[in-house]
Amino acid sequence: MLSDITIGQFFPGNSVLHRIDPRVKLALTFIYIVAVFIPRNWWGLGLAVAALIGAALLSRLPARLLLKGLKPVLPLIVLTSIINLFYVDGTVLWHWWIFRITWEGIATAAFIAIRILCLIAGTSLLTYTTSPTTLTDALERLLSPLRVIRVPVHEIAMMMTIALRFIPTLIEETDKIMSAQKARGADMESGGLMQRVRALIPVLIPLFISSFRRAYELATAMECRCYHGGEGRTRMKQLHMRSGDYVALLLMALLIAALFVLNTQFPKVI
Amino acid sequence: MEMIEVRDVQFRYDEEEGSSAVVLDGIHMTVRKGEFVALLGHNGCGKSTLAKHFNAMLLPLGGAVLVKDMNTTDERHKYDIRSTVGMVLQNPDNQLVSTIVEEDVAFGPENLGVEPAVIRTRVDEALKAVGMYDYRDHAAHKLSGGQKQRVAIAGVLAMQPECIVLDEPTAMLDPRGRREVMDTVCRLNREQGITIVLITHYMEEAVLADRVLVMDDGKVVREGTPRQVFSQVEQLRALELDVPQPTELCHVLQQEGITLPDGVLTIEECAEALLQQLEGYHGGH
Repeated sequence: MLSDITIGQFFPGNSVLHRIDPRVKLALTFIYIVAVFIPRNWWGLGLAVAALIGAALLSRLPARLLLKGLKPVLPLIVLTSIINLFYVDGTVLWHWWIFRITWEGIATAAFIAIRILCLIAGTSLLTYTTSPTTLTDALERLLSPLRVIRVPVHEIAMMMTIALRFIPTLIEETDKIMSAQKARGADMESGGLMQRVRALIPVLIPLFISSFRRAYELATAMECRCYHGGEGRTRMKQLHMRSGDYVALLLMALLIAALFVLNTQFPKVI
Repeated sequence: MEMIEVRDVQFRYDEEEGSSAVVLDGIHMTVRKGEFVALLGHNGCGKSTLAKHFNAMLLPLGGAVLVKDMNTTDERHKYDIRSTVGMVLQNPDNQLVSTIVEEDVAFGPENLGVEPAVIRTRVDEALKAVGMYDYRDHAAHKLSGGQKQRVAIAGVLAMQPECIVLDEPTAMLDPRGRREVMDTVCRLNREQGITIVLITHYMEEAVLADRVLVMDDGKVVREGTPRQVFSQVEQLRALELDVPQPTELCHVLQQEGITLPDGVLTIEECAEALLQQLEGYHGGH
């Protein structure tokens, strides 16, 4: 049951989006997150959404998959929408006791809901098309200038690599410990919330202890293989920028320019 | 020049209670180049501790360990020693660092600062040598125990070692995984001339070695070819060790008064000896 969890949710493929240099993809995603906050009117927002849909089509991933990724944020969207709906002043459409719905309120709520959806869809497009290891690798290389101000970039990347490596191992182990405790008569399925949380303690303690043992053994194995931090370390897989990567960056620059232009051309909504 | 030379090594772990038990007590031994040595001993006799001295993971408190004449206490040679003497540990899950097989194999040479193109060829060669080349882009956690252990061996091979120390590499594997690993180890020894030090609990594996060392209580107490060591069944029993099953069978039959040669090691030898005995029996009547 626990093995259904797939962290990072990577879907292998060979589309244009899969092949973009991970550093570029990571940077583009961050830029896009910022870019979503540029539009002040529907035209701008429409362009941002169109760009995202274009990228999604290029990824050749099933639409169902992309929409499924948006489901967990629905409560957040509903909540922000309700707040916006009731708290924005303007032309009153409907009024009851202290509640008022304004035309501007509806517009703001919709605008922000679409913004949030763009943010989530944009970042999930990154994780869907990039393997976690490449992503970590890209992060290490992109952040490497920060070493100058003593940010332990290599150590952070190594920690992420090891975490990704051990997630399936620890999930497997959790399953094993749960079975072992069930075999000894532990009841994990019944009772209220507190009772169930308490039932997890005999699972978590052995899991912690064995994790520390694993960590110690892994450290030994890494030292045996001459690991001594990021100093003087090379990488087998080198990243090279190709023409497609430059095209992607150019398109993003054009998008941002267009968003600013649209802001000046049309009246603002929010 | 010997591959590994251990001279009168003393070692003990510092324990918090202040009392510290001596783990290695004056060990003298050598491992010659190209040799396959098996190290036996019951639990807690200090064999894993000794193994960690071979690649400077532990440093002797007395005496010296020399790897190709490099003293392990010399900090400057630390990484030369660790890339010369590679080490494979017992738990296959806890020694793979990366999610992808080939990236894990590349970990060692990456640490040594090898050129990317050279790492690529070394990784491919190492994976071919252990028969895992077809799995190079697979997820490491989805492999079987034997496959994981072979990837771990490839990870050591990619550092181009002259010697590989394996600390109970088959203890957590099923019989099939055990055979895969032992076949790989024997082939590396025979075909690539890599020196092997194998620590094991399985006597059938020790039989494959050129030389067997038996440890007890921090000392080397027996040394010789598998035939010499295993022919002394009673002495091994006293050291809480088993003997290979064919050896044991012949020993029991000998005690019953049946004349059989000493030091029978494999099933084939045992069958041969029994056949001769039976033929002799029929011939005599």
